[in-house]
Amino acid sequence: MRVARGTFLTLLCWVVLALLPPVLGDWNASLLAQYVIYGIFALSLGLLWGTAGILCFGQAIFFGMGAYSMAVVTLGKLPALGSSQWAGFALALVLPAVAAALIGWLLFRGRALAGAQLGIVTLCAAVVAETAARRWDFIGGFNGLFGVPSLAFPFESDALSGIGTAYATLGAALAAYLVGLAITRSPLGTVLAAIRNDENRTIHLGYNVRNHKIFVFTVSGGIAGLAGALFALQFGFVSPSLVGFALSTEVLIWVAVGGRAVLMAAFLGALLVRSAETVMSATLADYWLLVLGILFAATVVLAPQGLLASVLRLPPARRLRRRSRPTSTDTAALAPRAAEEASAGAS
Amino acid sequence: MATAIALSIDMLSFTLTLLLVTLGLVVIFGMMNVINMAHGEFFLIGAYAVVAVTRAGGSFWLGLVLAPCLLALIGFAVEWLVIRHIYRRFIDTILATWGLSLALKQGVILLFGPGSQSMLNPIPGTVEVLGVSYPAYRLFIMGMGLALALGTYWLFFRTALGLQARGVIANRAMAASLGINTRRMDWATFATGAALAGFAGAVMSPIMSVDPQMGMGFLVPSFLAVLVGGVNSLVGAALGSGVIGGTTTMLSARLDQADAQIVVFLLAIMVIRFFPQGLTGDRR
Repeated sequence: MRVARGTFLTLLCWVVLALLPPVLGDWNASLLAQYVIYGIFALSLGLLWGTAGILCFGQAIFFGMGAYSMAVVTLGKLPALGSSQWAGFALALVLPAVAAALIGWLLFRGRALAGAQLGIVTLCAAVVAETAARRWDFIGGFNGLFGVPSLAFPFESDALSGIGTAYATLGAALAAYLVGLAITRSPLGTVLAAIRNDENRTIHLGYNVRNHKIFVFTVSGGIAGLAGALFALQFGFVSPSLVGFALSTEVLIWVAVGGRAVLMAAFLGALLVRSAETVMSATLADYWLLVLGILFAATVVLAPQGLLASVLRLPPARRLRRRSRPTSTDTAALAPRAAEEASAGAS
Repeated sequence: MATAIALSIDMLSFTLTLLLVTLGLVVIFGMMNVINMAHGEFFLIGAYAVVAVTRAGGSFWLGLVLAPCLLALIGFAVEWLVIRHIYRRFIDTILATWGLSLALKQGVILLFGPGSQSMLNPIPGTVEVLGVSYPAYRLFIMGMGLALALGTYWLFFRTALGLQARGVIANRAMAASLGINTRRMDWATFATGAALAGFAGAVMSPIMSVDPQMGMGFLVPSFLAVLVGGVNSLVGAALGSGVIGGTTTMLSARLDQADAQIVVFLLAIMVIRFFPQGLTGDRR
C-alpha cells in the first residue's frame, strides 16, 4: 500500500517525538515538555483558524483560564473541588470550554462578526481579561499565584521526572491532535472548511453555520485550557500575562509560521519557533525579537501557507476521494487545497 | 460647577487626543482596508524622534516637524517592502504588520534602551478657561487634533488629490484606466497615514512617559474608536473618539482607571457587536 508523503511525515514526527525524551536527558526533556505545551496551545488555534477560518486574537484567554483553573484547584482555593490535579484538569477543560461557548455565542449569533471586527473584538477581550486578572485578588492579582505543584501522574504520589513529564505532555498532545484530526476529517470538518472558504454559500446550502462555529470555538477553548493547565503544572506559577494580548499574538505567530491549514504544522510551528528562540536568544540576545518580527512578516508575505503545511498536508479523507481523476473545479469546495485563495480572500 | 467644566474640558481633551492618534489609522485602515498593527509603533517612533532631536540639541518644534517626515519615509518603505504584496490578503495585513510592530519596537529598544525618557514641556503654564485653569500644552494638543482632523478631511474629501486617492480605493481598475497612477496613490496614502501617526506621537511626547510600551496603550483604544464610529468615515472616527474618550474620562472620575478601562472596552465590544458597521453606518 502506498502511503502519502504527508501521512508518512506526520507519523514520522510523532515517532521521533516519542523517541526524543530519553535521548535528550532529564533537563532537555522537560524543556521539550514546555515546547509541547505551547504546541498544544498552537493546535487549538490551528483548529479554530485553519479549519474554520475564525481568526481569534484572544486565544490566550482560554489558555490562561485553564492555567488559573489548575492553580486555583491545586492550591486548595476551591475546597468544594478538592485539590487533586484530576479536579484541576477537569475544571481547566470545562471552564474555558464553557467560556468559549458563551463568547462564541455572543460573537456569532445573529449577524456574525468577521474579519476586522472579530479580530479587534477578540483582541480587546484579551486586554480586558488581562486587566481583570490583575485586579482580582482571589487569583493573586498583579502577582499571580505561585507554588503550583508539578505534574504527578497518575496517582498523585511523587512529581514526575523530566522524562516522565515529557511523555505525559506528549500523550496529552497526541490526544488533542487526534481530537482535532477527528473533527477536521469528519463530515463536520468538511462543513467547517466550507464555512472558511465561503460562509454565505454554506449558509445557503442549509447548514447551521452559527452552531458549527460555536462548536469548534468550544472545542478549541477546551484544548487551549488543557495546554494552560499543563503550563501551570510545568512552571509552577500563573500570572496575568498568561491571559493577555501578548501571548495571544505569540501563538498566532507560531501557527502562521508553521502553517494554519494543517494541524500538525501548527503544532510543530510552536515547537520550531520556541526552540529557535531558545537557541537564537543566546546568540542574538536583544536582536532576537527584531529578527523574529522580520522573519514573521517575511513568512506572511512570501509563504502565506506557512513553512511546514505543504509537506505535512494529509490526503483528503477517503469519502472525498473520487475514483476517476477529479477536475480542479469539482474539488474546489471540498479539498483543503482550495483554502489558499479562500482564506486569504475571505472578508 | 467648576468640576463639571473641568470634567467637560477633560473629556474634550481626551476625545481630541484620541482623534489625533486615530487619524493615521483612519487613513490606513478606513481608506486602504489595511489593518495596521504597527500603528502604535509609528506613534512610538514619532515620540522618540522628538527625543532624539532634542537630545542632539535641536528644539522641540524642530522635532515636531521632522517626526512626521521620518515616519512618511518609514511608511513608504513599509508599504513598498511589505504591504504592496498583501493588499488582497486582508487577514495577512494584520499578521505582517504585527511582525513589523515587534521588529520596530525592538529596534527602538535597541537604540534608546528599555527605560522611559522624559521631555520638557515646551509650553509650560496654565490658561484660564471658563474659570478653570488648564495646562496650556493640553490646549495646544486639542487644537492640533482639531486642526489635523479638519485638514485630513479637507485633503481627502475636498481636493482633487484626495478624490483620486479615494477613487483608487473604490475601483482600482477604473481609476487606472482614467490615468491615475494607482501605485503612487497607494504609497502616498500609506505614507500620509504613517506621518499622521508619527506627528501624533511627537505632539504627545511631552505629556506622556516616552517608553517602548507607549504605543500599545493607544493601539486598542484607537482601533475601538474607528470601529465604534464606523470604518469608512472621518466623522465616524470623530464620533468614536468622542464615545471612547468621553466615557473613559467620565468613568475615570468615579472608578479606578483599570476598572474604567474594562468597562469602556466591554461597552465598545457591545457597540461593535450590535452595530458592526459602526454608529455612523455606511454614511460618510
